[in-house]
Amino acid sequence: MRKIRVLVKKEVMDILRDRKTLIMMVVVPILLYPLLLLGITLGVGFFMQSQSEKVHTAGFETISDAALDELKELYEKNKEEIGTNLDFIRGTDADAWLEVAESDNGYDVKIHYISTEQDSRYACEAMEELLDIYQEKLLSENLKEKGLPQEFLHPVKVESIDQASESESFGMDIGGSIGMMLIVTILMGAMYPAIDATAGEKERGTLETLLTLPVSNFELIMSKYLSVALFSCVTAIISLISLGGSALILMSSVTEEVGSQIPQFSALLPAIPVILMTMVAVALFITAVCMCFCVFARSFKEANNYITPVLLVIMFASMAAMIPTLRLDYQTALIPVVNVSLMIKQILAQQFSLSLAGVTIGVNAGYSILIVWVLSRIYNSEDILFSDGFRGFRLFQKRSDIKKGTVPGAGDAAVIVTATFLLLIYVGTAATVHLGFWGAALQQLMILVIPVAAVWYMKSDVKELFSLHVPRASGVPGGLLLYLGTYCIMITISVFLVKIMPESSVELAESYEMLTEQPLFFVLLVLALMPAVGEELLFRGFVMGSIRHRHGAWWAIFVSALVFGIFHMSLLKLLPTAMLGACFAVIVWRTGTIYIGMFLHFLNNTISFLTIKYPEKAVELVPFLMKETLSLQEILCLLLAGIVLGGAGWIILKRRSTNAAEE
Amino acid sequence: MIKADHLCKKFERNIKEGRKTRKEEFYAVDHISLKANKGEIVGILGPNGAGKTTFLRMLGMLMTPTEGEIIITDDGGSVLEDPVQKKAAIGYLSGNTKMYPRFSIREYLEFLGELYGFSKEQTQERIREIIDVLNMAKFADNRIERLSTGQLQRASIARCLFADPDIYILDEPTLGLDILSADAIIHFMKKQKECGKTVLYSTHYLEEAQFLCDYIYLILDGKVAAEGTPTGLMERTGTDSLRETFHVICEKAGFMEREGSDIG
Repeated sequence: MRKIRVLVKKEVMDILRDRKTLIMMVVVPILLYPLLLLGITLGVGFFMQSQSEKVHTAGFETISDAALDELKELYEKNKEEIGTNLDFIRGTDADAWLEVAESDNGYDVKIHYISTEQDSRYACEAMEELLDIYQEKLLSENLKEKGLPQEFLHPVKVESIDQASESESFGMDIGGSIGMMLIVTILMGAMYPAIDATAGEKERGTLETLLTLPVSNFELIMSKYLSVALFSCVTAIISLISLGGSALILMSSVTEEVGSQIPQFSALLPAIPVILMTMVAVALFITAVCMCFCVFARSFKEANNYITPVLLVIMFASMAAMIPTLRLDYQTALIPVVNVSLMIKQILAQQFSLSLAGVTIGVNAGYSILIVWVLSRIYNSEDILFSDGFRGFRLFQKRSDIKKGTVPGAGDAAVIVTATFLLLIYVGTAATVHLGFWGAALQQLMILVIPVAAVWYMKSDVKELFSLHVPRASGVPGGLLLYLGTYCIMITISVFLVKIMPESSVELAESYEMLTEQPLFFVLLVLALMPAVGEELLFRGFVMGSIRHRHGAWWAIFVSALVFGIFHMSLLKLLPTAMLGACFAVIVWRTGTIYIGMFLHFLNNTISFLTIKYPEKAVELVPFLMKETLSLQEILCLLLAGIVLGGAGWIILKRRSTNAAEE
Repeated sequence: MIKADHLCKKFERNIKEGRKTRKEEFYAVDHISLKANKGEIVGILGPNGAGKTTFLRMLGMLMTPTEGEIIITDDGGSVLEDPVQKKAAIGYLSGNTKMYPRFSIREYLEFLGELYGFSKEQTQERIREIIDVLNMAKFADNRIERLSTGQLQRASIARCLFADPDIYILDEPTLGLDILSADAIIHFMKKQKECGKTVLYSTHYLEEAQFLCDYIYLILDGKVAAEGTPTGLMERTGTDSLRETFHVICEKAGFMEREGSDIG
């Protein structure tokens, strides 16, 4: 710890002596927010004023002079209500023009306008409003003539009352952009020190000196990370203060009327520590991601190249809050950056859940710790110092430069998993929304195609990487026992998780509903067979195969299981799926073949689908699987069964693999 | 004492065959074994690209060897296992080990003092000593980016010297220096030898190596082409200066033909 402290101190001193960093970190956020807010207020004010002063021309064709005069008179009377200045002229040479034709029982009125021109739109809206008033007037005259009450026309009066206070809806409206602004500022604050502390130091030649000192890789990467994180946290806090300050000043200067819409500062006070913690957590995460990419770069320029796509991805993620239907729940809370953006929106709208905030902070902090830890484990001083750019990423090399039989590295696995994940989130979700069931099929196809394409590109040995060996009969019982054992333990964990997160389990049940409408064969194909093949090839094949080659089997099992869990995008399913992933990974490792895992995966999905589709029969056949709560005895029984079955499976698998080794 | 046992380092290089580029592995350092004892100055000689720097980087724990082993013992003769401890025993200097340009040398040494866990008084005492020995009082408080080449090299020596390591690994320490600065560094090496330190250094200046080194390794193409004391080497090749010895050995190895030279 002492060494890390000393290194951080040195790092901070070094970065502080660089003016560019200081400007990015302090001056930009301090000046940016007041200027931005001032600019927006001035701009909007100017626009409103120019609109209220501007005169739009309204053209009238095929209308009698008397009617026109009547409309004019009506307009003058209701000018305040309509709010747009209109100049009545004859002819069609106007912002919008009106055409009247007499029909059997009244008039057909057409307003011609150009939707792409703002002036035309305004004129059209004003004319529509004027005609509405005219219509009301005619109606009430008719009613009076017939001696009917006003309610005759509108027996049902509809008025919708917004239960959200004005300040809440205002918060929802502006909250979307505030999260993005804060996140982007943090990004700017983190980016420069991250490049300076890694690629910059490499370029200046000081890194080699640093590596000759008695410092371990962990201490080195940790200290670099901590000092950059310190800067991005400071940026986060400064931007928060600057933003809050300029908002306060703005609030005190606006008129009473608008003022009532803006959330009262006192209402947000309790949320401030939470916002601060969230900002720090997301700063930690962004720093980790930036470091991840900068460590590979040999120069400032290269680092800039690497970090630009990262910048774009994070910026897009920070815009999540601008999607009106997206809300913070136990699924979106698992996506870093996106969850922060959503949370800020919800805090400003005064809809605030402490447990979701906890998950958000935890997720961002957790991911960053994971990234830094993995970074310090994977890279030794030689990789840091002399790495040939993205040499670890075979995917970024020209295909003609890649040797036949190349094994993908951990970096490639990360790229492929991220690509699949992003495709699933964006394309896959869109496909499911538009195509329903077949969209889900398309999703599964994507999972299958991506790793296969990557393997083709890298000319890897397909058989070795995917463990496509014919299984021996003896591997099956071992695998089956291990799976059954894992399944027993999974049930107890699931029951426990459902208890602590009830909301989340309702969401999950809903998502299955649409699938039960399809014929059984298709459902099993899409839900059981395709995932069994695709997911096994991606996780137990590509991810596990590439990590195992360089970092050993245990790492491969751990990482592939974790990624498999995260991939299912549900906090509820995270731990059980990760366990299942680990189980399959162990089977692949021990038996040397992926087919047993595929079969068990198919079995697993089929069982869980059938229990959803035929809950009554399932309760009859396997009552213990369908319980919502378990007694202590049952839990102990299940755990015991899990340990015994799993243990037996493990022993069989272990013996089998030693036999194989002896042969 | 520092000992290398069949040390190897493999790299990749591109080979162009028609329109295709093929990657080929080659040994930059090919089974080099070496030993440098306490109170010895050991010289590593060889043309550019022979693998000297890669070899020294492996000894300095900056690169991981592809094969082979490095054994480092402390003053008492016990073998060091922990890589951090090994690094602490080594003072490493090369053209690539630069110092933070935005620090002064005094600040840098203070940072080192904290890193090595010295007390404040110890650190200040040591800094005073080093500034005195290397005659750096004039520029000790200037930012490193403002120093001249000679001052910079002295500052680098100060960095190496600071923690009083048992082993010095110096990669071309006199390169590009004027006679006075070079002499200061040679003086420094001699003094360390007298103090019972191990000095391992590479150079292109053969006259310098001839009178300074106790033992010499000549490296060609990643392999040891010849080794021995300077006088031993000269006797064996029947020459009377190390420069001629160098030519004879290179010629024997067929190295000069490639250079297209007819010297010697």
